[in-house]
Amino acid sequence: MPRPWGPTTEYEVYQNCLEQVKLADELGFDQVWAVEHHFLEEYSHCSAPEVFLTACAMVTKNIRIGRGIVVCVPEFNSPVKAAEVAATMDIVSGGRLEFGTGRSATWTELGGMGADPDETKKTWDEWVRVIPQMWTQERFGYQGRAFSMPQRAVLPKPLQKPHPPMWVAVTSPGTELDAADRGMGSLGLTFGGFAEQEKKIAEYRRRIKYCDPVGSFVNEQVNTVNFLFCHEDNEYGAKTGQRLAGTFNYLAEQLLAARQAYPTRSYPNLGLLPALRREATSAPEGQIPEGLCIGNPDRIVEVIKKWESVGVDRINFLLNAIETVPQEEVLASLRLFAKEVMPKFAEKPAKTAAAVGGA
Amino acid sequence: MPLVGTRPTADFASGPLIRPGEEAPWTLSRVQILQVMYELEQGAMTSLLPPALHPTIPPTLVVTAWRVPESPAGPFVLAEAKVGCRSGARPRALSVRAFCDSEQARAALADRWGYPLEAAEIGFARRYDRCWVTVEAGGRVVLDAHLVDPEAISGNDIQYLATLNTARVEREGSVVPRLIQVDPEYQFHSADRGAPELLAFDGEAFGLPGAEPYWPVSASYAVADVAMPELRYLVDPAKPPLMAVERLPRTGS
Repeated sequence: MPRPWGPTTEYEVYQNCLEQVKLADELGFDQVWAVEHHFLEEYSHCSAPEVFLTACAMVTKNIRIGRGIVVCVPEFNSPVKAAEVAATMDIVSGGRLEFGTGRSATWTELGGMGADPDETKKTWDEWVRVIPQMWTQERFGYQGRAFSMPQRAVLPKPLQKPHPPMWVAVTSPGTELDAADRGMGSLGLTFGGFAEQEKKIAEYRRRIKYCDPVGSFVNEQVNTVNFLFCHEDNEYGAKTGQRLAGTFNYLAEQLLAARQAYPTRSYPNLGLLPALRREATSAPEGQIPEGLCIGNPDRIVEVIKKWESVGVDRINFLLNAIETVPQEEVLASLRLFAKEVMPKFAEKPAKTAAAVGGA
Repeated sequence: MPLVGTRPTADFASGPLIRPGEEAPWTLSRVQILQVMYELEQGAMTSLLPPALHPTIPPTLVVTAWRVPESPAGPFVLAEAKVGCRSGARPRALSVRAFCDSEQARAALADRWGYPLEAAEIGFARRYDRCWVTVEAGGRVVLDAHLVDPEAISGNDIQYLATLNTARVEREGSVVPRLIQVDPEYQFHSADRGAPELLAFDGEAFGLPGAEPYWPVSASYAVADVAMPELRYLVDPAKPPLMAVERLPRTGS
């Protein structure tokens, strides 16, 4: 959300996002995801993604609706409310919900909500086990560590049976293994290069074979995240895409990470998020970073095939950052991608259909 | 794009003049490090920083004290109160004025790393229930910061920000203000975490007028070997963030 914030800036950006989602649905994109962030000035003004995604569902027919992610921390949400809202979204979208989970990673958010950074992994682990039970049991009661409730009917129940697919946002190192061990999809939020991602995905695939699923089924899927700017002119496409990536990364680096403010083992030392962003978005002068989906259609096809070869099922594309790219160019990029790139992957739609991320 | 500082650059024109020499590197053994972090009232979000730096959101105050038992300049205690910020995309903490209890150490730290130091009586103590630093300058207490109820953690869980010291350097025959990046390396022997408590803080004394710490964030205490760095980067406080960083040629190897 670019400064200066006029009285209609947020309205305009939300409208742009809705327009992008509507077009993405018409073009055959597979999923749209919207984040839950709080207090992150400019970086994200999307604190109520369930509302935005419901609006998306109302203007689309086929695209799946990714709640990415429910912050599973009691100071942010309640597990009952999260289950209820998700079920309602699933109903009103006609069974199109993808349910993402996570725990927040910034002091700006955790401190703002009064959450204890030491507790977030524990509460997330508890919530992802109880929420699918709320969806599938007629009445649910629970005595737990961070959350307890007497027996009640948690209503409504999701339209998808037994329940929507469950995902984990993967930012901290090792969270992809948490996803595997719980039979959940890996919703990658880092922009790691091919080699790094290939190792992680291989280990995810190995571990999930022996998982103890928290839900009623195993959701073995790997989404990763990338930038998209597709243009007939490779040089212009790459230049614009790099400007988009650079702007997004610059904003991301401004965030006050949890561990920069609060010493805790709960948020590992590596600072992997910015490190991987740098790895993926830096390249020698005049070259395009290897893993980014920017440039002309031929280049993007090549990049996606490489991602496919390392085991990625789907790519979530970031389309814009503080409206760096004019809306008409974003829409044109989507259209060109759908026309020239998506057909190259049409034989295996479940594995390769590209997704679009709401800004 | 992110907010930038609005503080007049004249406020950064009175730091020490760096006089880098050929002295041997400093490795400081078993330094006791107390760090206390608070959020600042947001009215001063941009007014504490020069145009070269972005504020953190929320704005933060980082109090750091070192008790150094042994150094080439003898033992000393150093106390800083810094403002959390970003130099471009990099996390940093700006120090406008700090205090040190040893004249010899003040001179050496200013000459080599641009520490903007003044004399003070500094108390640094560790008990089983708390650790604290007090700074008395000009006949009044300007800092009284505590870590309460320490619990052991791993040193790897602590992330110290690189400091930007307010100093001056010679450029083409002139003396110009620069922020000097100091990013030591730490080898931890032990570490604790506890509740932060700021009983006294005088922003004016630390060159931070209007800084009002009001919301406790964290406190840590560590014992570490500290390798003082070779200077690598300077920041011109007057330039925009993406144009402000100046890389210095490596010396030695």
